[in-house]
Amino acid sequence: MRFQRLIGLVIMGVTGLAALLLWIGVSATDTSHQRVHHGVLFGVWRVFYDTAAPPWPQLFIAVGVALLLALSVAVLERRIATRYRRSENVDVTPLSPKVVMAATRGVFHGEVTVTVLVPAHNEEASLGATLTSLWEQSVAPTRIVVVADNCTDRTVEVAHAHGAEVFESVENTHKKGGALNQALRWLLPGQGENDTVMVMDADTALDPGFLEAAVRRLTHDRALMAVGGLFYGEPGHGLIGQFQRNEYVRYGREIRRRRGRVFVLTGTASIFRPRALRTVAAARGSIIPGVQGDVYDTAALTEDNELTIALKSLGALMISPDECTVVTELMPSWRTLWNQRLRWQRGALENVGAYGITPQTSRYWAQQLGLGYGVFALTSYFVLILLMLLATDAWIWFPFWIGLGLVFMVERVVTVWRGGWKARLLAMTIFPELFFDFFLDLVFVKGVIDISLGRQAAWKHIEHTSSGVLEEAEP
Amino acid sequence: MIPTGSIDVLVFGHHLLPPSWLHSTGYDVLMIFVAINTVMYAALSVAKVLPALHPTEWFTRRRRSETRSIYPDGSSDQQE
Repeated sequence: MRFQRLIGLVIMGVTGLAALLLWIGVSATDTSHQRVHHGVLFGVWRVFYDTAAPPWPQLFIAVGVALLLALSVAVLERRIATRYRRSENVDVTPLSPKVVMAATRGVFHGEVTVTVLVPAHNEEASLGATLTSLWEQSVAPTRIVVVADNCTDRTVEVAHAHGAEVFESVENTHKKGGALNQALRWLLPGQGENDTVMVMDADTALDPGFLEAAVRRLTHDRALMAVGGLFYGEPGHGLIGQFQRNEYVRYGREIRRRRGRVFVLTGTASIFRPRALRTVAAARGSIIPGVQGDVYDTAALTEDNELTIALKSLGALMISPDECTVVTELMPSWRTLWNQRLRWQRGALENVGAYGITPQTSRYWAQQLGLGYGVFALTSYFVLILLMLLATDAWIWFPFWIGLGLVFMVERVVTVWRGGWKARLLAMTIFPELFFDFFLDLVFVKGVIDISLGRQAAWKHIEHTSSGVLEEAEP
Repeated sequence: MIPTGSIDVLVFGHHLLPPSWLHSTGYDVLMIFVAINTVMYAALSVAKVLPALHPTEWFTRRRRSETRSIYPDGSSDQQE
């Protein structure tokens, strides 16, 4: 069952219903309690406090439900992954480890090589550093091909100057995905079983051991179809930069806790075996959405997320190892961040809608449902605080809420610990990050509205100028 | 907002909504609704702070029945 334009309404409908049921449940219980008390601190300071808290049974049920939901999602994902891993069905899961192992057993197909494709649309300012980071890897790539897509600047010259080959797209109207499809159509036929292809953004720099670690894993496991990078944010951009860095630190921590099990093979830097890309191209239009022969689905706003779901749907094994880290650019302003996140959010929703409810998309459905419910939860939280601030005439302490706040504070700080003292300091203050979450909730709602109304999505491109200024432009 | 008044009572000069709102059933329902949601998120937060558990790995064997190396003789397996 596929959803297309209804996807946003389905997510908001289901989560809204859950919120409504909870509301009705709460309304049906006795909510009366003794109100504000007061006491004296240090003999002089009279304080008001409100001991209001939900009854213990309700709290236990809430904790139980939350943990049960989280556990169910984790167990379900694990079971589905195991099922796909053990599948021997060539027609349904042509990339599952058993199928790939059987096809490559007993034959040495050559050492693992890496050919890097760097899609670039007017990237003269950042391309040089990207190519340098590639050549300086402890295990250097065999080839670097810059895929120049409708460039009007010196991208091609910069590429040549840094020892890269150049592939120029021809009459491409499908942006990055379209340019990569053309390049892959040219490249893939000549690639052997272990001649892997890396796709890497022109504004990204690899950490030194990335390729070495990836090649080692691809050598040890011929069933491994893709290795994804773990990205973290570049320094700078003040508070808005720190918000994004904290997000990426938390995401990286989550992936490590999942033992590198991939959520999204990031477009910033991911390596694929040619078999994986060829199989996706062949399966499009039948087992998975898209146009047959295309590796990337050009209808998807987030082509890397879509390709990840495509590979998972075909049974591919992939990993984001701890050693494969990349530095990625951050959005410098709220406007550019809004546009980036709107594209990501809308893309993720549309991908889930395009695939419908399948075993391999269930984890992504759970994520979107979680985000949808978060909108209701956080909005009601802010409404409550606002009402209290506007209607109260004295500062009242709420021990229950302070206790909960401390729990969140610990979690916020622990999860960004790797990000350094600035990250911890921001996390400790809780409220700025809550407002940032609310900003992302607004993006989510805007994405739902845009999809539901069938609005055309804009694919904004960040232009890097040689002065280092970032400008937004329609490509 | 800057508290005004004596040291023992921190009083805000004006309030924009009638304080009686805070004693209404609707407000109580909202508060418990938010409280239950917040407790659910707090439970998930605690789970995130604690070390991740991978119970399936406690029982599964680590040796593979055949090499998955690109070398048919499995010569890269020793390096793992």
